[in-house]
Amino acid sequence: MNRGAALTGTLLVAIGLSIFAWKTLVLHLPVLPSNVENLWRVELEIDARGSGQRGSVRAALPDSDSQQEIFDERQTNDRLVFTIRTEKGGQRTGVWSGKFDGVHNLSHGFRVQLAEEPLPLPTELRLEPPKDVVDAYLHSSGRFPSDAPEVRELLANLAPPNPSDPLGQMRVLLGYVTDEILTANTGSDDALLTLAAGEGSQVGKARLLVGLLRAAGYPARISAGLRLRADKEAREAIWAEAWVGGTWLALSPSLGFFGARPPDLLLLRTGSSTLVEETGLDALSFRYRVLRESLRADEVASFMVPSNPLLAAISLYRLPVGSQSALRILLVFPIGALIIALIRNIIGVRTFGTFMPLLISLALRELPLTLGLGLVGSVIALGIVSRFLLERLQLLLVPRLGVLLCLVVLAITAQSLLGRTYEVKDLYASVLFPVVIMTMLIERFSITTAEEGLPAAVRRLATSTAAAICVYPIFRIAALEHLMFGFPELVISVMGVLVWIGGYTGYRASELWRFRSLARGREEDAR
Amino acid sequence: MTLAARLRALGVLGMNRRNGVYTSRWNQRMHYPSVDDKLETKRLLRDAGIATAPVLAVARLHSEVRRMLRDLDSYASFVIKPAHGAMGNGILVVAERDGDWFMKPGGQWVDRSALSYHSASVISGAYALGGQPDVAFAEERLQAHPDLRAITAEGVPDVRVVVYRGVPVMSMTRLPTRRSRGRANLHQGAVGAGIELDSGVTNFAVCDGRAVDVHPDTQQAVLERAIPEWELVLEIAVRASDQTRLGYVGADVVIDAEHGPLVLELNARPGLAIQVANRAGLVPRLAEVDRSVRPDMNWRDRIALACDIARRARAGALR
Repeated sequence: MNRGAALTGTLLVAIGLSIFAWKTLVLHLPVLPSNVENLWRVELEIDARGSGQRGSVRAALPDSDSQQEIFDERQTNDRLVFTIRTEKGGQRTGVWSGKFDGVHNLSHGFRVQLAEEPLPLPTELRLEPPKDVVDAYLHSSGRFPSDAPEVRELLANLAPPNPSDPLGQMRVLLGYVTDEILTANTGSDDALLTLAAGEGSQVGKARLLVGLLRAAGYPARISAGLRLRADKEAREAIWAEAWVGGTWLALSPSLGFFGARPPDLLLLRTGSSTLVEETGLDALSFRYRVLRESLRADEVASFMVPSNPLLAAISLYRLPVGSQSALRILLVFPIGALIIALIRNIIGVRTFGTFMPLLISLALRELPLTLGLGLVGSVIALGIVSRFLLERLQLLLVPRLGVLLCLVVLAITAQSLLGRTYEVKDLYASVLFPVVIMTMLIERFSITTAEEGLPAAVRRLATSTAAAICVYPIFRIAALEHLMFGFPELVISVMGVLVWIGGYTGYRASELWRFRSLARGREEDAR
Repeated sequence: MTLAARLRALGVLGMNRRNGVYTSRWNQRMHYPSVDDKLETKRLLRDAGIATAPVLAVARLHSEVRRMLRDLDSYASFVIKPAHGAMGNGILVVAERDGDWFMKPGGQWVDRSALSYHSASVISGAYALGGQPDVAFAEERLQAHPDLRAITAEGVPDVRVVVYRGVPVMSMTRLPTRRSRGRANLHQGAVGAGIELDSGVTNFAVCDGRAVDVHPDTQQAVLERAIPEWELVLEIAVRASDQTRLGYVGADVVIDAEHGPLVLELNARPGLAIQVANRAGLVPRLAEVDRSVRPDMNWRDRIALACDIARRARAGALR
């Protein structure tokens, strides 16, 4: 290795490691993620557009209860006034009010710790509901038509009142709405229409269940929240709650739970299914972004507000959730480049395309390895067969590549459809496949086959796959993701190691095999 | 002693060292185009009076393919090549023709549209290093020298000379086999036979990484063969490398039955298999060139130096 490369590499490694050491040893930032379960960061993003009138945007805010703990709330108000209003029942609402002029980007974020253990069911079943609960949640209304004859009739047929077993009666009602009424996104939100059609939206089914519960004499209300899933947009969930034995029991005819909320469900609002409302606006759109946290609250705080002000200014933990998710993947890339450099320059294995294995692994990161390789493999196999058939048409290069690209797109589309049919959500995620790279892979494979023979092409495909398998884990190891995200200065160290590899002029491992006859031959001569 | 230490003791040059120490230092990127474009190489060498394989026709655009094939009407055999090809990829050899039907060396007949498709693929860049648009050209099909026919199957053998700072340091002849499908590439199954630089005689040979004494197809001895017109081979290899201004070049020379030695192409990243064919490492010879070469040496002096280094290497006096 020349001295320039050795020195530069050492310098870079030292810079990265010393910042890392300072942060871990002096500031005591945690190196490894702690084993936190079910801690999430949720961010509501609202785009509100107005044309100069006064108005307001109102968003349901979550509250801590026995199953969820909310903390670390923050919001942006973009020229408006933000206030939190608390209703009598305890429901909190965030209100942005003022003059809406143009587009306002509003957000409200918080961290939430969800409880893993389901609650025990209430035992004091004969307890009478308090008067305010009865007043608010027992009467019949347009939304919850408990007095409607078809609701009364259904209740009489299904589950006549049984004071000794209220939970059993509730289960029967829940079972009916869950199993006999289909859930359809296009279904009606109205309880009676849902009952008549045998099909309804989440809201329609929940309202029908609330109506039935009220008809049976239980105070009941509707609740709304989010199902939290890592790396995906959170889905809104609507369910019902019934007052029994001194507590509110959750019942969901769409998600199918009874008693306690499942551990991935966040409660945002009770008494209404609307999460965000507006008055006086031209347009409103909103979405919830969700990120699973790998650090305890105090550890996150140490990253967000470290004792050093400079560090606080550049802490990645202060970024919006959307950028954080992207950066978490981006910052792992240098490790992938490092592995590729090791594979090619130290081990000495040839692959199709320099960083192709890295990009394939990136595309597969959401899938189990075998499934992912199966998907990529089938697309490539189809492409290769088509490529040999295309050869007969004698097409020019770029249109031929274009045809292959179309085939790759079609194959991925077909896989996504299959994934939807069989409810394999993992398959559905595979639309992020790097289509162009797969097309080039097919073309290179075909040309290598023609030029150097099938064994050479298969060999290189195998080494490329092996390289992709080597890189794949880096996108799946939570500790590595945390390490690179919490300590981005390590990228400088990775650069240093890459400079070292770049200055390495010794043998590659594969050359020991390649030149083995040389070494052996000379030895025999000497004998 | 570990394998790596043994190879180091033999002075075997590895890929990382070739790239990091030799080609990156002596082959400046700006001089690459003159060897990566075979037509450019030919022009350069022709201007210097160095013999190259004659060009019969050129097609730079898709629209010129028909004209190129028409220009070839009067030739019974020829070779269509990409100007930017590597490792012998994209080369189509026509050994014989019958009107609009053309026979490849393996005996397979193809029609005119196959030739124009191949030429069009070449122009589209299917065989170019970076996939960029390329130029197709047709070259006279060279004939193996009678002295080498006994140890050749199907194709034409060539002589690879590695020239470092104007001094030949190692050489081998690459003999096509049936398994290499007429190609002179060792990794495709051709025989590589090391040549002693001072005498032009083969002294060792490998095929598929194993030492061989005879050509696998013809069963004729490949050792102790004198390469015809050896002095001229060395001369044009050295003078061609001087023209490129590259310090580490692989010159491929074909000894044609009719024209004698011709430079086929030059390579700025010559492979390392030549060491296996010579059963010797390149590093001691490269180091000796670094010690002995002086800027005022002409090509004759440098060939004399090369012969001296080769003799000392054989005597084990280089380390």
